[in-house]
Amino acid sequence: MATLDLINLTKQFGTVTAVDAVNLSVQDGEFMCILGPSGCGKSTLLRMIAGFEMPTEGDIRIAGDSVTHLGANKRPTAMVFQKYTLWPHMKVFDNIAFGLQLRRLPRAEIARKVEEALALVSLSGYEERYPSQLSGGQQQRVALARAIVLEPKILLLDEPFSSLDAILRVRLREELRRIQRRLKITAIFVTHDQEEALTLADRIAVMNAGRVEQLDAPTQIYDNPATLFVADFIGAMNLLQAQVSGGRIVLSGVTLDAPPGLQDGAATVAIRPEDMALLPDAAHAGAWRAVVEQISDLGHYRRALLDVGDGTLKIYLPKSAAVREGAQVAAFPRRYLIYANGGAPREVTRALPAEALTV
Amino acid sequence: MTTLARTSTRQRQWRGAILAYLLVAPPLLLMVLLIFIPATQSIARTLTISVDGQPGFSFSRYAAFFSDPISVNNLLFTFQVTLLTLAVIFIVCFPLSLYLRFSTGRIASAVQILALFPLFVPGIILCYALIRFLGTRGTLDTLLSLVGITGYRTPYLKPEAIVIGLVWESIPFTVLVLTAGLRQVSDTLIESARDVGAGDWTIFRRIILPLIVRPALIVFSLNFLGIFGSYTIPYLLGPAAPQMMGVFMQQTFGQYRRPDDAETQAVITFLICAFVGFLYVRTVASQRLTREEE
Ligand SMILES: Nc1ncnc2c1ncn2[C@@H]1O[C@H](COP(=O)(O)OP(=O)(O)OP(=O)(O)O)[C@@H](O)[C@H]1O
Ligand SMILES: [Mg+2]
Repeated sequence: MATLDLINLTKQFGTVTAVDAVNLSVQDGEFMCILGPSGCGKSTLLRMIAGFEMPTEGDIRIAGDSVTHLGANKRPTAMVFQKYTLWPHMKVFDNIAFGLQLRRLPRAEIARKVEEALALVSLSGYEERYPSQLSGGQQQRVALARAIVLEPKILLLDEPFSSLDAILRVRLREELRRIQRRLKITAIFVTHDQEEALTLADRIAVMNAGRVEQLDAPTQIYDNPATLFVADFIGAMNLLQAQVSGGRIVLSGVTLDAPPGLQDGAATVAIRPEDMALLPDAAHAGAWRAVVEQISDLGHYRRALLDVGDGTLKIYLPKSAAVREGAQVAAFPRRYLIYANGGAPREVTRALPAEALTV
Repeated sequence: MTTLARTSTRQRQWRGAILAYLLVAPPLLLMVLLIFIPATQSIARTLTISVDGQPGFSFSRYAAFFSDPISVNNLLFTFQVTLLTLAVIFIVCFPLSLYLRFSTGRIASAVQILALFPLFVPGIILCYALIRFLGTRGTLDTLLSLVGITGYRTPYLKPEAIVIGLVWESIPFTVLVLTAGLRQVSDTLIESARDVGAGDWTIFRRIILPLIVRPALIVFSLNFLGIFGSYTIPYLLGPAAPQMMGVFMQQTFGQYRRPDDAETQAVITFLICAFVGFLYVRTVASQRLTREEE
């Protein structure tokens, strides 16, 4: 229930820079996801906020006050770890009560708070069990109860559900979101599962090699990835090498219009599979000549792989789209982003020809 | 088809059972032949006396042992040395194991190797090394007088020397088991405790200590067995009297040629060790059980 500000936060392990000058502000009650590939520094960042790692440089402020020099046991944060987190020699009740006992609360109050916390994670009546008598999902719920019972200002979660099976993971993360909304607690959730981040977060910080590449709402991250890394990392994306010259973008097999003012030189064109339309006539301006290589039905949509001579394009089609494998088609990009010189991407949207197979 | 499948399953179970019995047979046989039968015979013999040429049941040998001040004194001495040694082992090994578990880097690995070093030194060599080091005009004496400290009184041939020797010998095993036990206490468990507000002392008392009670009990009982029945170190380093049971037995048997009394001493020692052994087995078994619950 507070804001969190990371200022120029850096952590080096010897010569490895795990977290590199991160600036990040989390709002009161916000649910922020930190998303990135393995080894990009997510856990290190979280552990610095919790107080388990001392930053090499920078400052951490909770509700405006610097906590950088406080030990983990003095910070108003609570962490849920990935696994093996409950004390095996204590019953569920004592696991949750431990922090309250350290704060010397009266017994009756401790009992009441533990009961409330267990009810919140739907585990009422499990007080007398030992952790070894709980399933993995129940253990993580107890860990969550243990964290929130202390009413921390910031709740930190480091891939708390990643060792659980897919169905349980989805259920628990929805439960977590419900609890977080109810308590209006500021939460930072580390994951390398983009679906998890996209469904849960108010905002996502995408990290790469110790840096925050983009900090935005999930739709923004998906629709307008700020860097080539984010474009590649989030969702499916066709990334194509291109050459810009004289207002045209020359790719292998097609030439597209460049947005005004784009400098000549090398560039990368990024096209989401759902931003691609199929046209039945094989030759069309600003579209690839393609052969449908493979079609897979993926429930509510179909995925087609197109052979464009010099490579493969991935496109998503509505279920109703009438295409067969082996058909000669034209692949028409309706919307694409151009990344050049490390700057912000330029976006181009085009009107869809009437005969398109895509909605 | 079904009958065939059933027979083959049964055959396989049979084969598994036979293999299991074959595997446990040799050690079991050895135990029965070398320990169980002689021990039972010994116990039986110590409880028999011959009355007019007829064997009869009697506690008289034990009565003799417990009414002989020297024997009782030696038994008490053995307990004293054993318990004192165990205490010193824990005072030395516990902090050492904690250090080895929680620190990383070159010094820690060097200490680790040093702690294991006694494992590679045979007991008898250790004894002579200790005599050279601790004896009058030994290394320690010389070093002390070099810095001007005189009047060094050697522990050699005193109970302290036995304790020093036994502690030295027990360090590697104790440290190995304790550090292994401490490694079971994951960093996450400790960090979770710190996270909810526990300081170092609370973490030690409420998290680490309860979680290594079992390994500690295991080393405690195994060390007890080794120390209580030890021979070489008390024989070479200890006083002529009182004696530890191992030395006492050997002397009663070899020098005084009283095999009956030696047998009684052996049975008493055996029963004490068997009791501690039972505690050990129970600790290990209860650990197995909790594992299975998981
Ligand atoms: N205690 C440490 N000592 C040395 N290097 C470390 C330490 N902790 C982390 N690192 C390094 O810092 C970098 C970031 O690690 P971190 O654990 O933060 O990654 P992560 O994003 O959480 O990865 P994952 O998704 O696999 O959990 C890695 O290169 C890692 O090897
Ligand atoms: Mg991590």
